[in-house]
Amino acid sequence: MDTIPKTEEPPPPTSTPPRERLAYSVQEAADMLGVNYFSVYRLIQRGKLKVCRALRGKLLVPREELLKLLRTE
Amino acid sequence: MNDDPFINRRPTEIEDQAHVQAVRHFAEHLKQFPISRGAISQLEGDLSKTALAANMAASRPVSPGNSIQTDDGAQWHKSVDLFDHLFVCHRSTPTGTEYAVVEHFPANGRNEIWTRGHNAVEVLKRFTHDQRQALQVWTEDTAAQVKEFLAEKYPGQDMSRVADAFIHKLTTQEVSQQQTITHGHQQKHGYGMGV
Repeated sequence: MDTIPKTEEPPPPTSTPPRERLAYSVQEAADMLGVNYFSVYRLIQRGKLKVCRALRGKLLVPREELLKLLRTE
Repeated sequence: MNDDPFINRRPTEIEDQAHVQAVRHFAEHLKQFPISRGAISQLEGDLSKTALAANMAASRPVSPGNSIQTDDGAQWHKSVDLFDHLFVCHRSTPTGTEYAVVEHFPANGRNEIWTRGHNAVEVLKRFTHDQRQALQVWTEDTAAQVKEFLAEKYPGQDMSRVADAFIHKLTTQEVSQQQTITHGHQQKHGYGMGV
């Protein structure tokens, strides 16, 4: 009986693909949006951009919130 | 009374070094914060003048190139440039002229209304009040970031005076000479706060 030759498994990747970050600092968010820091703080103050706080109280902008803001309705 | 913690007792060598590092690391905050604060102060000082300019613009025939559409679909006419991408706008409604402070976001092309109402002075007052609160959010976030930065660089050491000195510098520093020149140059188009 003929045996089906085993197909070779692809070699394991040598490096894992970079993970998407879940959140960014206000400065990083401002850089990504192409605006100054104050514009981002204004959006936060008005509740237009939802943020969370790290342990020491530093604001973090979730990636999903940035994408939501950029989406044109 | 001076709130600078280094005025009452000189910093230790390590505090001095930590302060220099923090100033270097958060240089962009130290650059941008005074410009924004200065722009708000200027707007507060010129509030009546700006409101009058908006009233006068509303009484003139609208020019077609000055129209913008906000996210709610309403059509507005730009009256006064406040800062870069921030305008006082007006439109006619059945109940009279309505004013709004509108920000244009180049990243998504949207025009966001910050404050609106039938009285230009009130609209601007509410806007500047909101801006002061946003500056407070900025200050608190920077304080948290500086504390985090110092805790990582100097674990187990009390760097609270360094953090306090940094925030004192952030909130009291005047706009540098070079920034003043840039600021003055940008004023041709508004109050000169880059967005």
